[in-house]
Amino acid sequence: MKKYLSITLFIILIFLPLVIYEDNNSRYEKLSKSLLCPVCQGETLYDSPSEYADDMRIVLKEQIDNGMSDKQIMEYWTARFGERINTNPQNSNYILILFPIIFALVFGSLFYRKVLND
Amino acid sequence: MISSIGIILTWFGFLNLIILFISSNKNLFQTLVRVNLLIHFLLFCILEIALFLDDFSLYYIANHSAASTPPLYKFASLWGSLDGSILLWNLVLSIYFYLYIKFYRASVELYDIKIFASILLFFSGFTIFSSSPFSGCIQLASIGCQDFTLLPFQDLVTSESGRGPNPLLQNHPLMAIHPPILYLGYIGLVLPFVIATSELFNKHKDENWIKIAERATYFPWVFLTAGISLGAAWSYEVLGWGGYWAWDPVENVSFIPWLLATAFLHSSKTQIKEQTLINWNYVLACLMFLSVIFGTFITRSGVLISVHAFSNGNIGTYLLIGLFIFSFLFIFIGIRNIEYFKTSNKVENLLGRSGFFVANNIVLSASALIVLIGTIYPIFYESFFSRQLTIGRSFYDILIGPLLLILVYLMIFSTKISRVNLDFKTWLIGYQNELNVSLLISIILTFYFRASYKFVLTIFGSVLLVIIIGKNIVKRYKKTKLQGSYWTGQISHLGIGIFTIGLILNVTQSFSNELIISTGDIVNFGDKEFIILPPYEEIKEEKNVINLPIEFEDQEKNATLNIFKNSSQQAISSPAVFRSIESDTYVTIKVIDDDKFKLIFRENYGIFILWLGLGISSASFLTRMRK
Repeated sequence: MKKYLSITLFIILIFLPLVIYEDNNSRYEKLSKSLLCPVCQGETLYDSPSEYADDMRIVLKEQIDNGMSDKQIMEYWTARFGERINTNPQNSNYILILFPIIFALVFGSLFYRKVLND
Repeated sequence: MISSIGIILTWFGFLNLIILFISSNKNLFQTLVRVNLLIHFLLFCILEIALFLDDFSLYYIANHSAASTPPLYKFASLWGSLDGSILLWNLVLSIYFYLYIKFYRASVELYDIKIFASILLFFSGFTIFSSSPFSGCIQLASIGCQDFTLLPFQDLVTSESGRGPNPLLQNHPLMAIHPPILYLGYIGLVLPFVIATSELFNKHKDENWIKIAERATYFPWVFLTAGISLGAAWSYEVLGWGGYWAWDPVENVSFIPWLLATAFLHSSKTQIKEQTLINWNYVLACLMFLSVIFGTFITRSGVLISVHAFSNGNIGTYLLIGLFIFSFLFIFIGIRNIEYFKTSNKVENLLGRSGFFVANNIVLSASALIVLIGTIYPIFYESFFSRQLTIGRSFYDILIGPLLLILVYLMIFSTKISRVNLDFKTWLIGYQNELNVSLLISIILTFYFRASYKFVLTIFGSVLLVIIIGKNIVKRYKKTKLQGSYWTGQISHLGIGIFTIGLILNVTQSFSNELIISTGDIVNFGDKEFIILPPYEEIKEEKNVINLPIEFEDQEKNATLNIFKNSSQQAISSPAVFRSIESDTYVTIKVIDDDKFKLIFRENYGIFILWLGLGISSASFLTRMRK
């Protein structure tokens, strides 16, 4: 009896997000979180209290209201401030994401061979 | 006067350490280690006295303190900048040296004393030859001091007033607690390094070293956990950006040793019980301390920009040399013990204790590596391509997030872990009720928050973890006391489970809004109503504070904007936080434009749960207080 209850609950849980998930992050939030404030120390536009960031946020909001796409907006900013303003992984640092995965695989298999009994 | 006393005493300390290093008398070191602690304690007191006397003939005090600085922050100014923080660093090292000979020392030879003394010599050498907090001022700047001398009995000039500490560092009492606690954890990781290298220096005799190293790692781990949490709390309470962890380089380099120490606390257990992973344990024991020096190098050498980074000329090179020397020691001793490492047993049961701990170690060390790469890659990238790039939150979210999730699921099985393989089917039947309850709770929460898969996966794992371990602890607590390392683990895991619930709520549910208001307005945010009262300005000796009182239900709190005198830095906005168990409403002033205020309202979910979890994890030390 309990077993069937578990299975039913499990199935409900698996499909629930498909039905009800709502993305409540606005585009502004996403974009301002992925742009770095160029005059601050490692803060994003979203976080930074500086006036400079405030001016940039105003421009960003206008861009969103004018219907520019995410890609266009990111291009606009990187063209002006360089690649470092974009905190998302980009072409040049995708390798960064691959590297630890490769390392974990190599490391794991080494562990398996040296430490575990086959 | 104070400058000369300090410098001469530093020299005495240095001399004392040299004697400790060369002496081969097996009884003398007891006294010398105590003398060393006394000297470093005195140095600490002398600098505190000088800070309270506003002795601006000292270079350090003229540049990092001011007469108007409130007493608590004068006290904390000692570690507010590089030279002084090294004084605290040496004091903590000396405390650990004393604790080591009192509680952890097992060997009859003197290798451990010599290695420990050389580490201390290395760090106090910096205060003697490069820059000391006691160095006297010989040339004034417009405010503060321009040039200093490292020699005693010079004609010193006294600056009229001091520059004062960094405004960020005089804003919240946590500033007086966070650094010393963090240092107690960070520097405490010297113990396993000394134990591992000295016990294996000649040729290993017994398995005793791993037990002592495990015991010696645990308390620094507690302090490191508490120290990092306090830092996060400080960031949340003071910096006004609404978060607690920014993957800032300095946060990262405190997190790397934490990950390694956590890995070591687990893998050492497999060696104690099953004689496995001996070589790996040696590597971890040393890597913890090496990562501490490396972290200090990264953040104090000026190669990085960060809130925490304060650099000062040549300390970078100095630390790099130290890193090289201690790495050499680690490799040299490792090579000498290759035969010993070969006696390590292989792990027999993949689903037994060792198997789980190997998995845990792979995940934790992979995380440490990811954080390391994320921290140093921008430096290499800039020097090779002469372009800058930023590694931000998304990099760590993608990589560390799933690994943390794996750990949560591994911890679920920690209640019944034993040498033999875990039978998954019996386990499922045994925990059927707990499974059903957590499935139900997850469904309700997912429904309530309209959540995503990220949320579902995390919340189910963490709720199950909390229920299983909570039940285990309650059952035991009714019978007898919770003592011993098994229960330390259980309580830490419970804490981490609660922490993860808070974390996922915070990451997925928080929202914010930017509003322009004037006084008297009523603000609707979420389903709450706030009344903005008229602002008032306070003029204090060291800063002007603009207070904006905000009323919510019957609470009234101030969002403040702190404008510091004697400082070129921008104003600091501190939040008004209306707390509840589920979520905090966090209000900060962004910009003031005549009588208009631009405010940021944030609804931060799970903050209380998050602190609760970290607190429980840190409190796990209670299970180890009595043997």
